[in-house]
Amino acid sequence: MTKNETVLKLENVFKIYKMDGISVKALNGISLSVKKKEFISIVGPSGSGKSTLMHIIGCLDVPTSGKVILENQEISQLNERQLAKIRNKKIGFVFQQFNLLTRTSALENVALPLIYNNTDELKIREKAKEALKMVGLADRLNHHPNQLSGGQQQRVAIARALVTNPAIILADEPTGNLDSKSGVEILKIFDKLHKQGKTVVVVTHDQNIAARAQRIIHLKDGQII
Amino acid sequence: MLVNSRRLEIKQLTKVALKALQTNKSRSFLTALGVIIGVASVILLVSVGSGLKTYITGQMQDMGSNLIMIVPGDIDLDKMSAGSGQMQTADLAVMTSKLKLEHMEEIKKEIPEIQGAIAIVMVSSPVNYKRESKIIQVIGTTEDYIEIRKTEFYQGAFFSKAAVNSGRKVAVLGFKIAEDLFGEKNPLGKKIELGEARYTVIGVIEKKGGQGSMSPDDKIFIPLTTAQHQFDQDNVNLIMAEVHSSDEISSTISQIEQVLKKRLGEKEFSLLDQKEILSTVSNILNTLTAALGGIAAISLLVGGIGIMNIMLVSVTERTHEIGLRKALGATPEIILMQFLLEAVFLSVGGGIVGIMLGCGGTVLLNKFMPSVITPWSVLLAFFVSAAVGIIFGIMPARGAAKLSPIEALRYE
Repeated sequence: MTKNETVLKLENVFKIYKMDGISVKALNGISLSVKKKEFISIVGPSGSGKSTLMHIIGCLDVPTSGKVILENQEISQLNERQLAKIRNKKIGFVFQQFNLLTRTSALENVALPLIYNNTDELKIREKAKEALKMVGLADRLNHHPNQLSGGQQQRVAIARALVTNPAIILADEPTGNLDSKSGVEILKIFDKLHKQGKTVVVVTHDQNIAARAQRIIHLKDGQII
Repeated sequence: MLVNSRRLEIKQLTKVALKALQTNKSRSFLTALGVIIGVASVILLVSVGSGLKTYITGQMQDMGSNLIMIVPGDIDLDKMSAGSGQMQTADLAVMTSKLKLEHMEEIKKEIPEIQGAIAIVMVSSPVNYKRESKIIQVIGTTEDYIEIRKTEFYQGAFFSKAAVNSGRKVAVLGFKIAEDLFGEKNPLGKKIELGEARYTVIGVIEKKGGQGSMSPDDKIFIPLTTAQHQFDQDNVNLIMAEVHSSDEISSTISQIEQVLKKRLGEKEFSLLDQKEILSTVSNILNTLTAALGGIAAISLLVGGIGIMNIMLVSVTERTHEIGLRKALGATPEIILMQFLLEAVFLSVGGGIVGIMLGCGGTVLLNKFMPSVITPWSVLLAFFVSAAVGIIFGIMPARGAAKLSPIEALRYE
């Protein structure tokens, strides 16, 4: 594998929503590529198509037209089931609201993606522990989300994104629900992941966060500017 | 390898489904309660139905397989079991009976196969002894009764042919009647009042157990002629004829028919034997059992609707969670399985508890009325409850599987 290998490539991607008979172009011909081990951020005001772009990169949605190629696999024509498998293997999500399961321990939350790809039960525990250790929560394995601070909850979520060793870690406003101190801690984790060679894509409207990335992609009205 | 991984998947999904049920313990319990009640009542009611059948056919078998019954009126057992109004016409026939004591004597004389025969009059009458007073079923019959009904005596003896011929006022008591009226005292030779007349007690029949028309325990027996005289009746309600063996039944029935046709109209009497009555009675009781089970099955259906309702609520409540699971790689099939398993656990869990309650209830109920656990009803209840879970779980589960992950994640 060369250092400059492309992980993700979007070619002239359009996403058009039909609402009450009116077509809305959420993405208007986006082309971009993300190389392995790259740390990029996607910024733009609300309504710029950020979320739509994130959904397409995260394989939660397919474009109306254009190509999306993730690790040499064309995904724009896949069905719901195939997309789910790709998300499981290749994408690690980090959400603004953490999205942890309540009444479920940190360990079990981190293990969640693994139960959907038939990992052996013992290995699940092992991998989940390892991921939590990486985010500095080795001593919080059995804590439930409501026993953890916001920053800790987001770290559990990051561990969950890491546990499958995905092609891309895709974070959507990862510090949006945190105070500035916890936010900085989370950003440090992303820096660390980047240094370890992970590919990170952060979607945000915060210029300060975006500035930490190697490359910033500005979106406006569904286009890259 | 594929099979192995499938097994792993099912195991994980089972854990997830059980955990979801545990999270809402009281809700899960109440939902399962619908199925519990449904299954328990199916088992219980079928048990009562088949208990009744076992009991009644047992009573019928006590009657003896060598007996032919001659009853007044035109009774067609096949039509009766089909549920027409034949029962009422049979009642009417008893009141307007054309059967007489002479008919019994005649068939006894003319048909050599007939070993013995009795005629019976049945009336209810108040019976008094000292201060005790009861309404009791009085059987007026002929001297061969003990012979044909295989009756043992506790005290004394049955009345003789002479007593029947001369209409003597003597009475033989069923065991329970003797106990009720006389307690510890010896009833032999005592006078009891039967309606307006006084009768001398000459015997007590040994305890036979059971109840209903075939048990002598709660009846008083007096000579037929005495009964006819006192209750102003010249007909009889029933004639029973005994043959040597059950092989002779059908040939004897046609002989009796020929003899009686000379005296009576075709529609004024009917001949029945145990086999025929048994099959009719068990037909009627099977229908009854099925009807009871069917009524109970409706509550099982209601239980299923309860499951569907709660699963719909559960899917809506957990929309966000479904979105997350999908984002993390759960395929639509896996989400479908997760919710379907939840519904099936509710219904099968409810089914198992219902089976235990139904069986336990049957054992308890058996102390008060005849009831028998039938294996088929237990099996049926179990599989129906599992099916209920699948049928009523599939709609909410499909709804969950179809949710778009983006929409679901946005749902608060």
